[in-house]
Amino acid sequence: MFSNVIELYRCRALIMSLVLKEVKLRYQGSALGFLWTFLNPLLLMGIYTIVFSVFLRIKVENYPVFLFSALIPWVWFSTSILEGADSITRGGDLITRVLFPPQVLPTVTVFSNMINFVFSLPILFIFLLLFKVKIGGALIALPIVMIIQAVFTMGLVLMVSALNVHFRDIQHILGNLIIMWFFATPILYPLTSIPVKLRFITVINPMATLIKAYRDILFYRQFPNWLLLGIALCFGFLVFFLGSLIFNRYKESFPEEV
Amino acid sequence: MVAIKLENVSKIFFRQPLKRKYTTLRETLLHYFDWLKNRRKVRYIDALKDINLTIEKGEAIGIIGMNGSGKSTLLKLLAGIYKPDSGKVYIKGRVASLVGLGIGFHPGFTGRENIFINGIILGLSKKEIKRKFDDIVKFAELEDYIDDPVRIYSDGMFMRLGFSIATNVDPDILLIDEILAVGDEYFRHKCAEKITEFRKLGKTMVIVSHRLEAIEKWCDKAVWLNDGMIREIGIPSKVIDSYRNAIAQKEGKIPSERRSSEAPRSGTLKSARPD
Repeated sequence: MFSNVIELYRCRALIMSLVLKEVKLRYQGSALGFLWTFLNPLLLMGIYTIVFSVFLRIKVENYPVFLFSALIPWVWFSTSILEGADSITRGGDLITRVLFPPQVLPTVTVFSNMINFVFSLPILFIFLLLFKVKIGGALIALPIVMIIQAVFTMGLVLMVSALNVHFRDIQHILGNLIIMWFFATPILYPLTSIPVKLRFITVINPMATLIKAYRDILFYRQFPNWLLLGIALCFGFLVFFLGSLIFNRYKESFPEEV
Repeated sequence: MVAIKLENVSKIFFRQPLKRKYTTLRETLLHYFDWLKNRRKVRYIDALKDINLTIEKGEAIGIIGMNGSGKSTLLKLLAGIYKPDSGKVYIKGRVASLVGLGIGFHPGFTGRENIFINGIILGLSKKEIKRKFDDIVKFAELEDYIDDPVRIYSDGMFMRLGFSIATNVDPDILLIDEILAVGDEYFRHKCAEKITEFRKLGKTMVIVSHRLEAIEKWCDKAVWLNDGMIREIGIPSKVIDSYRNAIAQKEGKIPSERRSSEAPRSGTLKSARPD
């Protein structure tokens, strides 16, 4: 685990330049270019708002903002996982023809998506203003929540990217698992809609804790539940540890199997 | 002083079509089961068998041999991309491999941006690249195009840029795989000059090439690899002679068997896979 962290720190310049490349590349060639960073989550929000607020009539005040504050961190998470899963297998020449630290590739997907997340925050703030929800001082807790999410996501991405080299099934099944996870996490609905008996699910689902924390900070203007966040952090480290273990176990076989 | 030392190095590749054999969990489980039952039956290729090789600092070594003899595998072991299955590889100094040129180049980015990305991938720091930037552009002769996207470059320009970055890494050990044929006649001469310059600077070089004259011209020693083993090692002209003899013999005596007797090369197996 630490060897991975040290290695990643050592090639931070490489990671930075690749993240920059990813971010620049993402919308290169499209007419609206960078605007897609904002438009994609906005469109998604529009769809979900119509379905859940108008058709299904979930009773939440300011539903679009309520949703958006949870949707953008989720998009960071899910896109990282989906893109990260085949980051090694897509690595091509980088893996097979040069000496290249492979853990850089999954890391780059997590960070480039984090940058997208940060870029879509201003839209959220505009929405908060539009819906006259004030921006609260709890905002200072945001980086902490982001770090926990980054650790947890990194662990998962390391895991799936390494496993995907040997079991290409992963990238296919992952899309469905992520959708399942999306609905199991209180994003479209408030935590209180889950029957009390089943709420334990959210405790063992770090994403539920994290999403709740984002919503507390951004929407309810209150500090998140530190105890739950602490548990999520422990989960994060555990997953990162496991991910590193799996990644290191398979690392040497990448040049031959990709 | 020893720059590179290989001690009893072996490398095997499994011969099952990897894509099919390892893709699904079920098959992997079954595979392990099979493997426990009849361990001996697993088919693999000995890409390299028990290689012992010492290369002194400043020496230039040429590696020759037929397709599938293990040349590229050897180079990848030296570059650290592959780990040996047994034996030890000692390397002293910074290694640069001119194996794939322009790795990590993105067609949508300008030559300038790609120099930075590729340079960092090859292990240069940003500062170093900034310092060497003008040299790189000048050597590639791309001054007029450096701010255009690489997408519009011709193949030759692309390779020139790649070569120029790779040779500016300033390595102690240079691994060269069949790239002496980059670009047109004019650029080839420039590459040749660069290699001669490296020789003068006392860099260690390992050159893999099918162009035997090039090996004879630049190398102090030649290694003839055959079926993953060192068949002969020594003065280039002598080794090349015996290599040519062997080929002539093969062509003369058993032309029809050539294809079937040639061991499938690891690279061939790989590229045969759908992706």
